[in-house]
Amino acid sequence: MDETELLPIRNFLAEIAPFNELSAELLEECCRNLSIGYYSKASVAVPLSSENPLLYIVRSGAFEVRNAEGELLDRLGAGDYFGFPSLMSGESISNKVLILEDGLVYHLSLPLFEKLRAGCRAFDRFFNRAYAKRLRHQESHQHHAEVITANRISSLVVMSPISVDHKTPVSDAAKLMRKNRVSSTLVMDNQKLVGILTDRDLRNRVLAEGLNGDVPVYQAMTAKPVTIDANALVFEAMLQMSQHNIHHLPVLDNGDPVGMVTSTDIIRSQSSQPILLIGEIERQQDVDSLIHVSKQIPILLQNLISADARAEEIGRILTSVTDALTRRLIQLHQALLGEPPVAFCWLAFGSQGRQDQMACSDQDNGLLLTHEPNAVENAYFDKLTHAVCAGLNDCGYVFCPGDIMAQNPMWRMSLEQWQQKFSDWVNAPEPKALMHASIFFDMRCVFGPENLFAALQDNVLADTRDNDIFLAALTGNALSETPPLGFFRQFVLERDGSEEKGIDLKHRGSVLINDIARVYALSAGLKEVNTAKRIRVLIAKGILNRKDGLNLADALEFIAHMRLANQGRQYENREQLSNYLKPEELSSLMRHQLRDAFKVVHDAQSALKLKFMRSF
Amino acid sequence: MAFWQQLYFGWRAFRSPPLLQDYYQRLGPLFSMPLAEVPLVAVDMEMTGLNPLTDQIISVGLVPIFQQRLQLGDAEHRLVGISGSVGQSAVIHGIVDRHLEQQVLDQQSLLRWILQQTQGKLMIFHHAPLDLAFLSMLAQRTVNHPLQFPVIDTLQIDRHRLLRDRHILPQGSLRLGACRKRYQLPVYAAHNALMDAIACGELFLAQTASIRPTVPISEFLWWP
Repeated sequence: MDETELLPIRNFLAEIAPFNELSAELLEECCRNLSIGYYSKASVAVPLSSENPLLYIVRSGAFEVRNAEGELLDRLGAGDYFGFPSLMSGESISNKVLILEDGLVYHLSLPLFEKLRAGCRAFDRFFNRAYAKRLRHQESHQHHAEVITANRISSLVVMSPISVDHKTPVSDAAKLMRKNRVSSTLVMDNQKLVGILTDRDLRNRVLAEGLNGDVPVYQAMTAKPVTIDANALVFEAMLQMSQHNIHHLPVLDNGDPVGMVTSTDIIRSQSSQPILLIGEIERQQDVDSLIHVSKQIPILLQNLISADARAEEIGRILTSVTDALTRRLIQLHQALLGEPPVAFCWLAFGSQGRQDQMACSDQDNGLLLTHEPNAVENAYFDKLTHAVCAGLNDCGYVFCPGDIMAQNPMWRMSLEQWQQKFSDWVNAPEPKALMHASIFFDMRCVFGPENLFAALQDNVLADTRDNDIFLAALTGNALSETPPLGFFRQFVLERDGSEEKGIDLKHRGSVLINDIARVYALSAGLKEVNTAKRIRVLIAKGILNRKDGLNLADALEFIAHMRLANQGRQYENREQLSNYLKPEELSSLMRHQLRDAFKVVHDAQSALKLKFMRSF
Repeated sequence: MAFWQQLYFGWRAFRSPPLLQDYYQRLGPLFSMPLAEVPLVAVDMEMTGLNPLTDQIISVGLVPIFQQRLQLGDAEHRLVGISGSVGQSAVIHGIVDRHLEQQVLDQQSLLRWILQQTQGKLMIFHHAPLDLAFLSMLAQRTVNHPLQFPVIDTLQIDRHRLLRDRHILPQGSLRLGACRKRYQLPVYAAHNALMDAIACGELFLAQTASIRPTVPISEFLWWP
């Protein structure tokens, strides 16, 4: 036989993952050794034999996989597979494959299957992953790691850090800095970072004061310096520096100082677009020019998508831009209205709180005041919040349809009132109020004194921690939507077997994972609000087991990535941006991976239910 | 199989030359076997034209069917050397003279090869009379004896079904592609003897998929 003879079979296989990864020779050998069967609806189920396990490749027709309990697990059409779990485990088959429509099926024998796995890594990986219901895409992770490390603080910190003891005379410290040709050093007390000493400190606090070199370092240093985590993005360090007007940041890894980054390091490393955009936002002197600058946000998003950045990082970058815009709007309006009569925090809720904003986000915000304002003070905040919310709306963050905004007097409260509000939600968790309230539990302070915000957050977390009734109610809320089962032809398949024309990746994917992570985080009193970070901390604390946690984090990233890619495509086609994905836009590999991701979400929901709703 | 048919077949086997006698003897027991167990082989041939007297076989594809599954691993495809040129028929089957330069079989060894490949198996064709006429003529020329035995014809099976349901049969409704379409079988866009044999074999599986596996194969036989 020559290679053209089985062309129709070969062409079919060459289009479906993972057969599209096979070399021409392996594909040829595969085609030449298939056996072909036809299954009729009249015989109800495909007779599966444990003694002779096969990979079944659906060529036409429709099939349904159900477990021993009869629960629908999957529905299969052309290009889908069944039979591979027992092929890989050697265990007997417990699932049933029902025949919905007569269909032609190609069979691949065990020896041939093994040969293809041995001969093609991608093929092997595909079925390993499918079998383990794992999403971890090793290759793409490695690929990402390379792209992203260049943008991380850790990539800028190469040398072991220069440090001195806090009692060292400043002249010795200066000699050490000269020897190492650095402009700053870490100051340690008993293995702990207590400050940094910079050229500027030596000038301002030693020379200009007429002191000599015997002064101990702790008298000249900048104590309690702002620090940055080694895993932070470079642009986050830049943000810290511009916010606090500093040029040196000690770098911490798990709390231990591992180095120092300076503004020079960062400028030298790169000047990427988000930083420029944020810098530009901070330079604008009036609202109109701020709105003008905000027109670049969709372009920034598009650049990030095409640069194949991780969805989690895109979320953080876009949210940083929103934060900067919000802060600048507040500053500009404060300049017009005068100093605020009462100290306040601008609170971000929902996606801005979680730092996972994407295109077409609406605003969810509120105001936290040190104490309840009187009528005059209230008038000030009324003006300020209306102006800022309107400004955000003009910048593309549309007004919240649920009116959760600082301009709504309802969400402009003193610390005491907010505490009361949260306590009401926690102690009398009505389902409807909870649905509304879940937005508020993902909160972050964008502007204002951190300690005021911390007072509220500590209070809320103390209320939620180990609060069984509240957590059960929140869990019930998190289970009100389910991920779709998968795809079947041009339709999205629901768990009850019905079909939809497309899938809302946000409400049937990302939101569910956010909900799950929130319940666990509140149960453990975690301050973290970003879902990916929440999951990482939950794994570190042993609240989520490592495998499940990583699966969930992968599912989150994958679904968010699909959302972004989908919006990128919509943007290019000049369509209205949405979270709605049509199954026909998906490649065969994407279909399989998305199906796996939804399975992970479904499993995580079941685990959540088991953990928090046992007694209800 | 009816008694008179058995008698007729036995008589024919008895009167044949040794090569065919052996073949007939291995064929006989198959007729009483159940559908699911009988070894089958789907066959398709490409010819230079439609007239067995003047035209020649230029390629043969065959695929065995065992326990109701097509075994591509045992499929075979051979080109056959002919005298003269393939001429206009190249338009249909895509085989041109250049392909036949590396021919595997000559017309003399073709019969022996086909009998070897299909011995102990029942043949399936789509539109059997044409292929059988060519095979019979080949036998006449090679061993000076015609070839005649029952086969399965997927075209006849569908014709019976459609007529039984009182369908009128429009032009082209019994072509291989049209029959396959009725069973939601995929479109195989190739005119190649092997691919057509596979297409024909799949059609037979589809036609018999809802039939009890114990039904005797004789129900599906077509007698020349």
